[in-house]
Amino acid sequence: MKDRDCRVESCSFECPGICRIGFSCPALVEEAGPGQFVMVEVSDGPLPAARRPFTLSSVSKSKGIFEIVFEVKGPGTSSLASSAPGRSCRVMGPLGRGYETSADRWLLVGGGLGAAGFPFLAASVRSARVLLGASCSDALVRTGGEAEYATEDGSAGRRGLVTDLLDGLDLASFDAIAVCGPTPMMKAVVEAVPDDLRPRVQVSLESRMGCGWGACGGCAIPASAGGYLKCCVDGPVVTAQAVDWSRMGGGLV
Amino acid sequence: MKPRIEASLWGRDFGNPLMLASGTCGYGTELLEAGLLGDAAALVTKATTARPREGNAPPRIADTRFGLLNSIGLANPGAEQVVESLLPEMAFAPCAVIVNVAGETLEEYRRVVGILERSEVHVGYEINVSCPNVSAGGMAFGTDPACVAEITRLVRSSTGRPFSVKLTPNGGDIVEAAKMAEGEGADAVTVCNTFLGMKLDWRTGRPVLSRGAGGYSSPALLPLVTARVWQVASAVGIPVIASGGVWWGEDVLELRAAGASMVQLGTAVLRRPSRISEILLEMRTLLEGS
Repeated sequence: MKDRDCRVESCSFECPGICRIGFSCPALVEEAGPGQFVMVEVSDGPLPAARRPFTLSSVSKSKGIFEIVFEVKGPGTSSLASSAPGRSCRVMGPLGRGYETSADRWLLVGGGLGAAGFPFLAASVRSARVLLGASCSDALVRTGGEAEYATEDGSAGRRGLVTDLLDGLDLASFDAIAVCGPTPMMKAVVEAVPDDLRPRVQVSLESRMGCGWGACGGCAIPASAGGYLKCCVDGPVVTAQAVDWSRMGGGLV
Repeated sequence: MKPRIEASLWGRDFGNPLMLASGTCGYGTELLEAGLLGDAAALVTKATTARPREGNAPPRIADTRFGLLNSIGLANPGAEQVVESLLPEMAFAPCAVIVNVAGETLEEYRRVVGILERSEVHVGYEINVSCPNVSAGGMAFGTDPACVAEITRLVRSSTGRPFSVKLTPNGGDIVEAAKMAEGEGADAVTVCNTFLGMKLDWRTGRPVLSRGAGGYSSPALLPLVTARVWQVASAVGIPVIASGGVWWGEDVLELRAAGASMVQLGTAVLRRPSRISEILLEMRTLLEGS
């Protein structure tokens, strides 16, 4: 549980409501793997009382910089989005279990901000084909490199859902499939994968978190083995088979 | 009494009065591994029940403008597992370990303590009669002074180790409950657990937490806890352990002035574990300047 003061290097809006912040912290970057996350203190005062979890979106080992991308939703993310370069934030991480990256050929399937962690993952594996879905062009998180898009309003790529992009793909040609996005989207993608290929699917889960380091039990994810996984230490990346999808609600758990 | 940093509880002298509140430090293993327990006098484990408990359905956490709501639901691996695997990991912890005990029935408290007695690691117990996040037991016990008396009597007959009874601010008379605990042989009272709170999405009318209401923790609770510590400390002779609202070193000194022997840190440490040492430093700085 490493906790460090990190300097904000950049803070900009990708599009209305979606903010990207770059932090400088060579030591954190050196330890980080794709799919891991950080807990950021979003204010210097005591409120909001909890930190906010963010997946590591991209890292530059040479510059010692990591980036997070997030939607501005409430007081916590608003405070963070108003950061000016030079601000110092307390950041704990890297935390949790990330992607198991030994496979060669990857398919990355992301919905909305779920794709936030894909640039780091794509840069860490030999080859990655990327499929992204969102409500509209503005809500697409560009991962860099080649990607295929589906938007519900048709403003970018194909009109429809990201699962439509799976049609006609030979899923067996991929050694690993990474899925991240809203719960209904992840459910739909996992269901679209034939049973025999399910062990290749790694999902990156999102949850409200109290601590991020295993103490509070706030980030419970229904487990297929019964009971719950702790998103922060058992995840956030787990195999699709570890999750009891029938007990996953529609929203943020 | 002159303000000071040193503290004592149950015949043990401590360099400071800082304890970690139940539910905010697991069983201490993560903080021990990170080397962050050196400045804590004691930690109170997650509530432990006779059998494993999965806890409540998610969402279990909701942050609000002025404080944090939780609804974990006493998730824990059960007393046997705690004795076999978790407490042994804490055998050489630099702070005292106190196990928090909960039950759905009065009898369960006696069973849990009976199992835990097999471990030599912990110095005592905190008896939880105040959890706001369960349907059976929890704060329903704590709001009934007769129930508090009965649970205290059962625990007293089950252990020679010292224990504190953790009281609820949510209904009932906390001073009366403290007197009952003292009368039946408790060695301290913890004042208090989280306050019942709720957050709703006004668009849908639905609560954010799956169980509806949860336990509210916040630095804004400090005056509410201070008043209760003051009331209880004036009415009982056993030590009062303050819990709730502490964010800075000054808060600890204030709660001690109100009559607390020891002071627990919770949400502040959940957010930043190094606050244990930082708060101690703040206390020292304040006392040097006074």
